[in-house]
Amino acid sequence: MLTLDGVQVSFGGVSALKGVSMTVSAGETVGLVGPNGAGKTTLFNVISGIVRPTAGDITFRGHSVLKAPEWKRARLGIGRSFQIARPLHHCTVRENLIVAQRFGAGRVDHERIDEILDLLKLGHKADRDAVSELALTEHKALEVGKALATNPHLLLLDEVLAGLETNGKRAFMEQLALVRDRFNLAMVVIEHDIPTISALCPRVVVLNFGEIIAEGNPGAVFRDPNVVRSYTGEAAA
Amino acid sequence: MKRFLVPAALAVAYVAVPLAFGGNPYVMGLIVAALTIGGIAVAWALLGNLGGMVSFGHAAFFGVGSYTSAVLSMKLGVPPLAGLLLGGLGAAIASIATMPALRLKGPYFALAILAYAHIFQILATEMTGVTGGAGGLLSIPRFPTLLGVDLGSKTGGYVIILTIVVLSAAAYAAIRRSAWGLALKAMHDTEIATRVIGVPSTHLKAAMLALSAFITGVVGAFNAHFINFLEPDYAFSGAWTVLPIAAAIFGGYRTVWGPVIGALTIYLLDQLVFKELMPHGHQFVLGMLLVGMILLSPGGLAPILGRRLEGGQRHAHA
Repeated sequence: MLTLDGVQVSFGGVSALKGVSMTVSAGETVGLVGPNGAGKTTLFNVISGIVRPTAGDITFRGHSVLKAPEWKRARLGIGRSFQIARPLHHCTVRENLIVAQRFGAGRVDHERIDEILDLLKLGHKADRDAVSELALTEHKALEVGKALATNPHLLLLDEVLAGLETNGKRAFMEQLALVRDRFNLAMVVIEHDIPTISALCPRVVVLNFGEIIAEGNPGAVFRDPNVVRSYTGEAAA
Repeated sequence: MKRFLVPAALAVAYVAVPLAFGGNPYVMGLIVAALTIGGIAVAWALLGNLGGMVSFGHAAFFGVGSYTSAVLSMKLGVPPLAGLLLGGLGAAIASIATMPALRLKGPYFALAILAYAHIFQILATEMTGVTGGAGGLLSIPRFPTLLGVDLGSKTGGYVIILTIVVLSAAAYAAIRRSAWGLALKAMHDTEIATRVIGVPSTHLKAAMLALSAFITGVVGAFNAHFINFLEPDYAFSGAWTVLPIAAAIFGGYRTVWGPVIGALTIYLLDQLVFKELMPHGHQFVLGMLLVGMILLSPGGLAPILGRRLEGGQRHAHA
C-alpha cells in the first residue's frame, strides 16, 4: 500500500532522514519507534505531504504521491494525527468530523460520523466546543476521529497514546484496534511505550539519526543490541 | 420571534422605506449611498471572516466593476442590468491578478492589495481609449424601466442596491453555515490541521477573495449606472475602502448584517444629523462615534442589538 524508497530530508544541511526505505501493506499495523530526534515525526510529515523530501520517492496504492500536496494525499486515503492535538477552532466535535468528511471523503455521511463518535466514545461531547471543552483523552480521540472521517486507507498516529496513564493507554489501544478492524485500516503508530507498541503492532521499525536500524517482530527487535544502544546512548561497537 | 425578524426587516426594507421616503429624492439618495457602502462592507467582512484576510484595497474591485459595466454598456450596448453581473465578473477576474498576494499574511496582504488599487487606478487613467482617461466617462446608460418601475430613479436604484445587498448577505450567511464556512474559520488558527484532512486552504482563500471582489464589483457597476458618470479618482477612491471598513467595524464585522447596519447608521447619522449640526468637520464627530463604539463594544452594534432582542424575548416569555 505504502512504499518509501530512499527518502531523504535535510533541514539546512542537517539530515533528518537518510535514505529511508520501508513498506506498509494493506491492513497492517506497524510500530515506528526510536529515541527523540530520530526522525519519526519527520517521516510522518513526509508521508502526509507537510515536508517535501530532498530525494527518494513515495508511492501510495501504486502511484507516486511525491508532488501531491497534503490535502490531496488526505483525499487519496492518508490520514494522520498530530502529537499535540490540533482540533479545528470555532467548531464543535461533530463539526470537526463534518469538515473532515466533506473535504477528505468528498461527502458528508452522518451515519459514519455517528459511528466514529461512538467508537471513540465522543458521542456525549459531539456538540461541545472542540478546543475548550475536551479532556486530554478526548482530544486524542478527536485527532483519530478527524483522520477517520476522511475515509482513509492508511492511518498515521503520532504519539496518540502519549500522556495517558496506564489504564487510559490500554483502553485507548483497545479502541484503536477496534477502529482498525472495523474500517480495515493499515496503521503506522509512533509510540515510546514498548509494552504498548508490542501489544498493538506485529511489526516494528526502529529509526535512529534518520536511519532504519532494525525492523521485525517486537520481541526480536527490542532485544537487538543496536536498538538497545540507540536508547541507552552507548556508541555502536 | 427571531425567525420573523428577517421577513419583517425585508418587508420594511422593500415596502415601508419606499413608501415613506420615495417622495424625498434627497433622503432616498442618501439611503442608496449608505447601502452602496453596506454592500462593499459585506464583501469586505466576508473576506476578513471567512478568508482571514484584511483588505485595504477594495476600491480596486469597486473601480474595476464600475468601469467594466460602464464600458461594456457604452461601447457594446450591454444592458445595465446584465452589466451588473459582468462588472462583478470583471472584478473577480481582476482579483486573480491579486492572488499572488495570498501568500502574504496580515498587514503585508493588506498593503499589497492597497498597491493593486493604485495600479488599477493608474491603468484606468492611462487607458484613455477605453476608459476616457482622467476625463472619465459621462452619460453612462441608466437603469431601464421594468414592469412599469423606473429602475433609474432614486427609488428604483434603492430596490436594485437593496437586492444586491440582501443576496450578498444571504450568500455570505449560507457559506458561513456550510462545511466550507467551518473549514474557512478553522483555517485561520490551524491551517495545517485543515490541510491534512483534505481542505485545499489556498484554493478556498482564493475563492473567498474572488467572491468578495465579485460582490464589490457588482456594487461598483450599480453605482456607475446609478450616478451615470465615472472618473478614475472617484471610482478608485480610497473612500470606497475606508468607509466600508468603518461601517463594518461599527456595525459588527463578525456578523452577517452588522456591516449593513453599520453603513446605514454611520452614513445616515453623518449626513442627516452631524452635517446639519456641524457643516464643516462633521467627520470628526463620526470618528469619535467610531472610537466610542470600539471602546464600549468592540464587537460592534449588531451584537448589542442581538442581546437586546434576546432580552426582550425573555421578558415577553416571563
